[in-house]
Amino acid sequence: MDKQYATDFTIQEMIVVAGARTLPDNKVIFAGTGLPLVAITLAQLTHAPGIVPVFEAGAVGPSLSRGLPLSVGDSRTTNKANYLLGLNSAFELTQRGFADIGFIGGAEIDPYGNLNSTMMGAFPDNYQSPKTRLPGSGGASDMACSCEQTIIIMVHEPRRFNEKLNYVTSPGYLDGSPNARWNAGLVGQGPQRVITTKAILGFDDDTRRMKLIATLPGETVRSIQDATGFKLIIPDDVYAFEPPTVEEIHLIREVIDPKGYFVKKTIKN
Amino acid sequence: MHWTGLSPDEARKFTADKNKSKRDKRKSLHDAVQEFINDGDNIGIGGFVNSRQPVSIVHEIIRQGRKDLTLSYQSAGLAVEYLAGAMVLNEEHLNIKRMEFAYWAHEAFGISPLFRYLAENSKLELEDWSNYNMSARFKAGSMGLPFIPCRSPLGSDMIQRNRAKVMECPFTQRPIMLLPASHPNVAIIHVQEADIYGNCRIQGPLFTCPEIAMASAYTIVTCDRLIEHDDMVRFPNRISIPFFAVDAVVEVPFGSYPGNSHGVHYFDEKHIPEFRSVCEQARKGDYSSLKDYYETFIFGVKNTARFMDKIPFSQVQQVQKIESGSRLDAGFTVLE
Repeated sequence: MDKQYATDFTIQEMIVVAGARTLPDNKVIFAGTGLPLVAITLAQLTHAPGIVPVFEAGAVGPSLSRGLPLSVGDSRTTNKANYLLGLNSAFELTQRGFADIGFIGGAEIDPYGNLNSTMMGAFPDNYQSPKTRLPGSGGASDMACSCEQTIIIMVHEPRRFNEKLNYVTSPGYLDGSPNARWNAGLVGQGPQRVITTKAILGFDDDTRRMKLIATLPGETVRSIQDATGFKLIIPDDVYAFEPPTVEEIHLIREVIDPKGYFVKKTIKN
Repeated sequence: MHWTGLSPDEARKFTADKNKSKRDKRKSLHDAVQEFINDGDNIGIGGFVNSRQPVSIVHEIIRQGRKDLTLSYQSAGLAVEYLAGAMVLNEEHLNIKRMEFAYWAHEAFGISPLFRYLAENSKLELEDWSNYNMSARFKAGSMGLPFIPCRSPLGSDMIQRNRAKVMECPFTQRPIMLLPASHPNVAIIHVQEADIYGNCRIQGPLFTCPEIAMASAYTIVTCDRLIEHDDMVRFPNRISIPFFAVDAVVEVPFGSYPGNSHGVHYFDEKHIPEFRSVCEQARKGDYSSLKDYYETFIFGVKNTARFMDKIPFSQVQQVQKIESGSRLDAGFTVLE
C-alpha cells in the first residue's frame, strides 16, 4: 500500500514527526521533557518499538502505552519499566556509557550546538537580574555532556539561533576547536542532529559548525538561512524531508497528545 | 569554603550526637513544622517537578511564616511556586533568600510565572546546578563525604556561578568536576507509605528523596498512608528511607496534591493550571486572584483535610481514577 501523506498539519506536529523518525530503533535513549517526550513516544509506536527510553527521574525501559507522561518523573513513565530507582542511578548510567542518545530541547543554540536554557540577558553581569529567566538546566546539561550522542529538538526562530549564546547551559562542541569536548573532560561525543520546525541540521566534521541536512515541507535553503542568526554550512546534498503521513499525524493528535500539552494546536511564531 | 546548611563536619557531629532510637515519631504537621523548621534554614525539598512534592508541609510553612530560607532541590514545581506566592503576597511573613537548584517550572503545565517574577526583579540569590549535580550533592552528603566527582556539566557557564571546582583527576590526569556536599538543616519529603518510626516505602521513582533524608540534619515526612511496622519490615529491601533518618512522621492523605503521588493519584489537570494562572496574573501585576487563592486554600484552612474539602469531589475522584502507577506490593494493613 502506498503511503498517504497528510495535507493538514502544524509545524509543531511536523517537528515531532521529524524528531521521531531521526531516532534509531534498539538504542537506549535518554529523553528530556517536552518535545522529546512526544517524539520518543511516536517513535516507539511506529518504526522503533525496540527503543529503550530512560527518564532522569528514574524509569528505565518503560512501555509508553499508558498515556503521554506530563513529566519525566510521573506515574506514566514507569509502566513495565525494567529498572526503577532515582536521579542518581539514571545519570550514573549516562557516565558509565549505557545511554546511546540524549534527546533534549533548548531555548537558544549557537553554531557549535551549545544550548542555553538558563537566562536571556548579559552574563555574568546581570545573572541576578536577567532580562528573562528560563527554567534552568534540569537534566539537559548532564545528558548533553555524558550521553554518547545528543539529538537536539527546538523551535526554529532567528532569535533562538545566535552566533554567541547569552549563557552556555548544555555543552555542544564548545568553541569548536579540535578535541574541545575531550579537553574539557567530557566523555560523550556531542550533538549529532538538530531537529527544528524548519530543518534537519547536523555538524561539519572538521569545523564542528552547524550544517543543513534536509529542508522540512514548505521550507527552502533560503528560508532556513534567513531564520538562522548565523551562517549555516550548506552542502550540495541537502534534500527535502519526507512529509508526515496521515498515520503519524493521527497518532500525535488522537493517541499521543490529544489534549495538546506539548504539541500545541497553534503556536506563536 | 562557604557552606549553606551544615558543613560536612558539623553534619557528622550532629548525627553522631543525635538520638537514633526506634521510637514513635508521629506528630501533627503544625508541631513538626514548628519544631524543625527555623528562620534562615536551608530546606531540602523532596519530589521531582510536580511529583511527590511536599505540598502539605509547604502549606503549613506558609501558614506559620518563615524568613530567609534557602531552598535546595533538583527540579521543583508546586512546592517552590507555593512558597514564592506567599513571598509575593507578604515578604515580611515569608521570604526565600537563596536557591540551590537545577530547574523550576511545571513541564507540560508551563513555565513558572513566579520564578520569572522573583528572578527578573532580583529578589533571589541563585546558584545554578544541573539535576545530576544537585542529586550528587545530596548523595555526597548522605555518604558522609565533603565532595563528589562528576563529569557534567564541564564546559558550561554554570561552573562560573556555583561552588563546583574543576580539577585534574589524580588518576586519569583529565579534568573532573568536584561538587560540594549538601547538608540541609531540614528535609521535607512526601512518601506513599511510612510506619510510626519513620521507615518509608516509596512507590515509583525514588527521585532523590533517600539521599536528601540521609544528608539533612532533620527530616519531616508526610505519608499518604501510615502502615503497620510489621508490614513495613516484611520487605526490608523495599524500605527507601530508614527510621533513624526521620524525625517526624505525619499521615497526610493527598499530601502532595494537586501533584502526582505514584500509585495513589495523578496530577489534577484542572487545579494546577488554575493555581498557575493566578501566579501568572500576579507576575503581570494583578495580585488580587493570588491573594484570594491563598485566603481560600491555605490561610483560610487549618490543614490538608480542610484544603481537600474545598476541591470538588469529582476532581478528587478523577485524579484517583486516571492514576496509572501501580503499587509494588498491594497487601498492607492500615493502621487504626
